[in-house]
Amino acid sequence: MKRAVRVLTARRPRPLPSLVVALTLAAGGFAAWAGQDWYGAAHDDRAAYAAQRDEALAAGEQAVQNLNTLDHRDLNQGLDLWESSTTGELHDQLKSGRAEFADQVRAAKTVTTARVLSGAVAELDDRAGRARVLIALRVTVRASDGAKTDKDSRMLGELTRTGGRWKLSALGQAPVGGAPTG
Amino acid sequence: MSTTRHHINRQRRRQARGTRPTPSAGVPQGAGGRGRAGGTAVLPPAVSPSPTRPDGEDGADGQDGKAPAAGERAARVRPRRPVGLALLCALTVLLGGFAGWAHAKAEALRDDPARRNTALTDLARTGEIEGRTAKAVDRLFSYDHTDPGALQKAARDLLTGKAVDQHRTLLADVRERADAQKAVITTTVTESAVERIDGHRARVLVYADQSSVATAGDKTASDAADASDEGAYAGAMLAVDVVHRDGRWLVSGIDTFGR
Repeated sequence: MKRAVRVLTARRPRPLPSLVVALTLAAGGFAAWAGQDWYGAAHDDRAAYAAQRDEALAAGEQAVQNLNTLDHRDLNQGLDLWESSTTGELHDQLKSGRAEFADQVRAAKTVTTARVLSGAVAELDDRAGRARVLIALRVTVRASDGAKTDKDSRMLGELTRTGGRWKLSALGQAPVGGAPTG
Repeated sequence: MSTTRHHINRQRRRQARGTRPTPSAGVPQGAGGRGRAGGTAVLPPAVSPSPTRPDGEDGADGQDGKAPAAGERAARVRPRRPVGLALLCALTVLLGGFAGWAHAKAEALRDDPARRNTALTDLARTGEIEGRTAKAVDRLFSYDHTDPGALQKAARDLLTGKAVDQHRTLLADVRERADAQKAVITTTVTESAVERIDGHRARVLVYADQSSVATAGDKTASDAADASDEGAYAGAMLAVDVVHRDGRWLVSGIDTFGR
């Protein structure tokens, strides 16, 4: 019985060539599909837009934090960071008011630190390189006598892309009750 | 006992193959079914060329059949594979490898957290979430002492999960004060932006104004009169988690940043 079966198997025509051709065709089809899929995923406009969004938000959060951080013992470095985080009108304002502001902080002997609680991009114009962000911030001011005060700030920032980097071009707090507050 | 059965079965198989004459054992052929040998079976060396394991009745049988099969395999003449076939095989492997690799690449790109977050990239959805969330926050944080049912209805309609408890805790003393002062608290979202949209979940950062107007007709309370004239404004910021369920966006979490 077993002998007979084995002989039959050996004499059956071998389907290997046609099988290999079919497999090659299938692999070719799969490769073409996967390649196209990959190309599509890599050249997705929305991906570039999403990357810009995240970049703008990260830069915005960092810049807003920088601009709310200042140590009276290390004024120059802090104010340099302010200037490097900003561009446009805001940058000019900070630069022109720098000396006066430094004197004030030096006299008050305060240490200000800030922590970003949350942030989101409200608008993004990828092509023009402009973005608007909302950043919830907690600012801690330590006075010269050691007293510590926490204050939450609802920041609204405008970012402009210059030289491939996002920088703050305007910063303010969301107005309360229709009236803007400091 | 089992040794005898073992022996009987072996004899019966030999008989079937017709290689040996009828067994000489005195046991009737119909006695006993097929049973596995527990003890040692001593096999006639003429039938089985190799030693058999004590319980390997089936193994011994298999060896009997294997010997001629091996000879058959050796005798078979293999046709030489054409070079084309080998090339096709290589091509198949290459194409398959590329397909798998490209697929993995595409999946990795799509799995990128920046791309999974469709805030702003899906403008319609972003706008819808912003609008729904603003409306929900307006309703959930407004309170009119003359109509306490409206807040309860809003909570029933718009909240889900842990947001139910969070909302109750946040609003508890607000309601108490509003009832005492006969105040109307109105919350208006002034700014909002979607932090993240991941499928049917989203997180929205919301800035809202809260005005509290005491409408008490109580003329003896001078401070209440002050409040009703001016109204008290306060700015609030909160992050709201929303979830899309049954075609609606429900608030599933309220983060007031520890305040």
